[in-house]
Amino acid sequence: MEFFNIFIKAAFIENMVLAYFLGMCSYLAVSKSVTTAFGLGLAVIFVLGITLPINWVISEMILSENGWLGMDLTFLRFILFIAVIASMVQLVEMIVEKVSPALYNSLGIFLPLITVNCAILGGSLFMVAREYNFGESVAYGLGSGFGWFLAILAIAAIREKIRYSNVPPALRGLGMAFILTGLMGIAFMSLMGIDPAALAAGN
Amino acid sequence: MGLLDFFKRIEPDKKKSPLLHTAYDAFFTFAFSPNTTAKGGVHIHDGMDLKRTMIHVVLAMQFCYIFGMYNIGHQHFLAIGEHTGLLEGLHLKLAFGLVKLLPIIVVSNLVGLGIEFYFAAKKGHAVEEGYIVSGALIPLIMPPDLPLWILALAVIFAVWIGKEAFGGTGMNILNIALLARVFVFFAYPTTISGDEVWVAGLADQGAGLAANYGGIFTGFFNWIFESFNWTTFNNGALVVDGYSGATPLSLAYQGGWEAVTDKYTTSSMFWGTIPGSIGETSKPLILLGVAILLLTRIASWRIMLSMFIGAAVMAMMLNAWGATPFMEVPWFYQFYMGSFFFAMAFMATDPVTAASTNRGKWIYGFFIGFVGMIVRVLNPAYPEGWMLAILFMNVFAPLIDHYVLEANISKRLKRA
Repeated sequence: MEFFNIFIKAAFIENMVLAYFLGMCSYLAVSKSVTTAFGLGLAVIFVLGITLPINWVISEMILSENGWLGMDLTFLRFILFIAVIASMVQLVEMIVEKVSPALYNSLGIFLPLITVNCAILGGSLFMVAREYNFGESVAYGLGSGFGWFLAILAIAAIREKIRYSNVPPALRGLGMAFILTGLMGIAFMSLMGIDPAALAAGN
Repeated sequence: MGLLDFFKRIEPDKKKSPLLHTAYDAFFTFAFSPNTTAKGGVHIHDGMDLKRTMIHVVLAMQFCYIFGMYNIGHQHFLAIGEHTGLLEGLHLKLAFGLVKLLPIIVVSNLVGLGIEFYFAAKKGHAVEEGYIVSGALIPLIMPPDLPLWILALAVIFAVWIGKEAFGGTGMNILNIALLARVFVFFAYPTTISGDEVWVAGLADQGAGLAANYGGIFTGFFNWIFESFNWTTFNNGALVVDGYSGATPLSLAYQGGWEAVTDKYTTSSMFWGTIPGSIGETSKPLILLGVAILLLTRIASWRIMLSMFIGAAVMAMMLNAWGATPFMEVPWFYQFYMGSFFFAMAFMATDPVTAASTNRGKWIYGFFIGFVGMIVRVLNPAYPEGWMLAILFMNVFAPLIDHYVLEANISKRLKRA
């Protein structure tokens, strides 16, 4: 139940894109069609779901003072986190290239760029700041990945729809995507303020 | 055909004054359906054009307007303890409501239509009808004492960013009326939430909270009422001791269904003599509007039914959970409170922002009910959930349509 709460909170209430505005670059660039958005969304869920537990192990077992090395190495956090994320992204890239060359081609540079997607590093840093345990970090990784996936799917479907709209020329493309993101942020505020943990405790 | 002759006589020159002609065209097509035909492409002509469709929706709302006008006055007089009977002082209540409601309607339409006219002239085509319904809906979902400049700002935001940026009528993603309300809700929260804002004419009078009517009441209306020997507006009446304008929802949040029934009867909640947004309170009159919309087949019964089912399912699940007093409110009583029916009838069924496939409508409606009940009961930050739930599902409506279409395509491919 506790893991479920964290999942729901990360996916809907503290959505990476629409509440924190993290991971915007690939969100805006790859959201032109639902199919590619779906592929990139899955890749982000995978990378977040894998890197968060690994980073948790690294941060708790190696970098922390209470870890195996017995030294405070937290200043290495960013470098090691990025290294883990980069290697995982490389793994995803090889899998996607092997399994679905069409998706690989349509994602182009944005697949390796997941490495520097701030939602992923942000996820790891939030995990450290909120002092999650191992199970919670898995739930948080999958939940925030799912939230990102949902946001990019929704905006991709909207952008496919407004391709037939008479948008003023100055706003076509990215301008419209920014306005849309803002409006979607308003809509997502509906769930902000719900505290699943407090509700589960019964107050 | 005196009216047609009149219109022909005053038609401005299209070349010399395009803005004037745009305005003229808007009012002309309001009265008559035009007999010009489109030149390029294939068009289907039907007597039931966009303008006629929109007018049916506006007509379905008129009951809410009349009752809303009465209820503004009724709630005001309940607060100061005069004319507490339903029909006592009816003329006073209607006059008070009219003076509160009329400026809201005028500002909403003037600002919204002004932007529409400006953009129509700029884009060089006829005025689009989209704002007729939004402009009629916006006054109904605002509290009666909302400052008019806030209303104007909200309308500007909704029409400009929410609609014109997307290319005008029929292309917006989020519901315009709800976008205007959500703007007020997040930008000026104190004017639209809390226990004080739902009763008109009391909030801005400081500590004593005495009724203090302006010149229009004591001068103009009293002059008329005195000539009939009717009761008149009197300054100086104090708010009744222990009176609170708390809505059933805020009471339910604090103390569950018992706290609600301590103050309101179920029949007053059903008939709508409770504080709330101007048009949302009276359930039978909204259902009358629903009947009109369904008989003329303008609104989708699928969305209405599935939204009801979604809300009922979620409310039953919350009943089963029962962790707070609000969750224990029996599920069918949830529909007595708040604006569920208003949102169901006029907001969720907006054909532009809803899902457009039939199966998509079922999914869309169900999730509005489901999410709305979650926001209402579980979210302490917001008193009511339907506005935000509908906006939330507006965002996902194109996605639902996309996958419903994909599923259909792959099903047919398999069959072929």
